[in-house]
Formats: sequence, structure tokens, C-alpha cells
Amino acid sequence: MNAYIYDDFLNKSRYRRALNKVEIRLTDLGLNGKIIRLGAIKNVKEVIQTEIKNGIKNIIAVGNNETANKVISAMITNKTYGFFQKDILFSIIPIGDNNSIAASFGIKKEDDACNILLARRIKKIDIALAGNNIFLNKAELVSDNAQIKIGEDYVLELTKKTKVKIVNLNDDADLVYKERIDPCDNLLNLVINNRGIDNTFITSSDIRVSGEGQLILDESVSVPLPTDVGIISEKINIIVGKDRSFN
Amino acid sequence: MFNKDNKLEKFKDAETIIGASIKVKGNFNGQGDIVIEGMLEGSLKTEANVFIGEKAKVNANIEASEAMISGEISGNIKIKKYLAIGKTAKIGGDVQCGEISIERGASITGQILVATDEVKKNDNKKIRPEEEA
Repeated sequence: MNAYIYDDFLNKSRYRRALNKVEIRLTDLGLNGKIIRLGAIKNVKEVIQTEIKNGIKNIIAVGNNETANKVISAMITNKTYGFFQKDILFSIIPIGDNNSIAASFGIKKEDDACNILLARRIKKIDIALAGNNIFLNKAELVSDNAQIKIGEDYVLELTKKTKVKIVNLNDDADLVYKERIDPCDNLLNLVINNRGIDNTFITSSDIRVSGEGQLILDESVSVPLPTDVGIISEKINIIVGKDRSFN
Repeated sequence: MFNKDNKLEKFKDAETIIGASIKVKGNFNGQGDIVIEGMLEGSLKTEANVFIGEKAKVNANIEASEAMISGEISGNIKIKKYLAIGKTAKIGGDVQCGEISIERGASITGQILVATDEVKKNDNKKIRPEEEA
């Protein structure tokens, strides 16, 4: 059984046509299911956990990165995750802008998403955590004074204003060392790129970021510094397309 | 590994790369190849290879299997196999290695010991007192 979680921004009339198209296509493919509209819900976690307990097998976020982040956080924050929730499949139907998570899954448009859901190509990937917030793709920071502690061993200090990315699942075709990023290896990748020539690349599962500023998770959630960044022990099952950014 | 033409290509696969705008403090231990183009204070140890770039400034003891050094190092260097020292290198510290090549222009202030067996013997000497204790 499927649950489609619609973000509240989809109430705007400009998304009506795209949503209608998706709903018709899902019905044609026999993939229709329960629709849950986030705009009408105060406690997203409780609603999604109840659906999981009631036997939902596929949870599909309909919207953008922020929607995906809200839905995954609601699926996983429950302490019993790893027991029955881990068999749930997650995917995205991208609508609107800011859809890099869907792109990294190989889902570029809403039309593709319906066919990809039908094909049920399943991959298991790591889930990253910054403070108490989950992210799938990356955590970003622009700073000239951040300190990044790797494990208990050493600390990196920035000496120039630089963009720092902590990547789990890559969504950037131009990212340096992108071919080395594996979202299934239980590791995060710290990529610091300064004007395309001065690059830093470190892998670790235990990172602490301190200094001024905030980490932006999946281009949608901000987390104040200092914060710990790592990988949670369970992985998530996702439905992906052929054009995904990983093997 | 250290041919001038293919050295960068070889190090593209390095496990850890520290860029020029980064300063690292602490004990850097790894299993794979490490490239340092920035600053490092502490210690650097890997079972694989180390590349220290021209603009790098390292204030640390270094231990590795093989190394190519073109930057500034203040500390002792212990390399199991081959050590290549480039013309821009400035080393202040003792050097131990199995084999060595030094380009004209490099500066070294310290003792150089080139002998695989000697390095091993010195290792054994260091271990013995701990074993007795």
C-alpha cells in the first residue's frame, strides 16, 4: 500500500496541473494510494508513524527537498526504527524547484517518477545526521573561520572564506571527486573547494563543525553551530531511477 | 609512482587530500595515500604514500611507505621504501628511508640514513625496552 505525502506548498494553483497529471498517471499504473496533505497536519511524525503501523509499505514525498527531509525525519526519528520501519520504501515525486534529492535518485520530472515507482528499482543508502536533523544529500556551510574536527584525531581550520560540503549522496554533477562518493559506505565525504583549484577531500563518519554560521541540510533545513555530523546505523530503502548519481 | 609526468594522476586517488587553504592540527593517521598542499601541525602517519606539495608547510614527524616531498617540513621523516625530495623542498629534521633521490636545489638540515635494514634495526631497538617493561 502506498502513502503519498503532499507538501503544503502544492495547494497553490500553479501546481494543480502537475498534480492532476501525476494523479491520473498513478491511477493508470495502478499505483494509487492514500494521500496525506501536510498543510492540514500539525504532528507529521505521529501521522506517518501511525500509517507505518497500519501497514503502509511505500511512502512517497510529493514536493521538493524540504518535503523529502520532513517525511524522512518523520519516518526515522521514532526510536523503534530498525524494527519494522526499515522495510518501508521511500521515494520522491518532484514538483517545483529545489529538487536535488530527487535528481540524485535519478528522478528528474514528475512524469518519470510515476514510471520509476512502477519499476521499483530499490537501493539501500546511508542516512546522515547533523545534530538531531536528518539529511540525505549534503550539509553545506560557507565560512572563513570554521573548525572541523575529524574523529578524535585532528582539526581542520579554514584560512579563507570557503564553501564546505559534507556529502552523503551527491547531487552535483560538477563536484570535485564526485566519483568517489558512495552513499552506501557508512561514511561521509568532506569536500572543500576553493575557486576550483584548491581542493580538500576527507572521508569520515564522525565530524564536528564549530565556528560562526549554520549548516544548511539538503538546501532546506538550517542547523546552528557547533554541531556533530555523522551517519546513523540503519540505512533507508529508496526507489530510484536508472539515472541516479550512484551505483 | 613519482615520474614527473604522471605523479598528479597517481595521486588523484589519494584517500585524503588537504588543500592549500586548510590548516590541520592533530595526529593524522591513515591507511591510504595522503596529499598535503596546506599546513599541518602534529604528526602524519600512513601505511601508504605521502605527497607534500610545493606550498605545503608541515610541522610534524612523518611516517609512510613512500613519499614525495616538495614543500617545507620541520620534523623527522621515516619512510620504509622510497623517498623523493623535490628541488623546492626544505627539510629541517632527520631523514630515514630505504631509497632516496634528491633534486638539485633541495635543502636538508639533519641526518640522512638510507638503509632498509638499518631502519628495521632501529625499529627493533625502540620496541625492546617496552617489551622488557
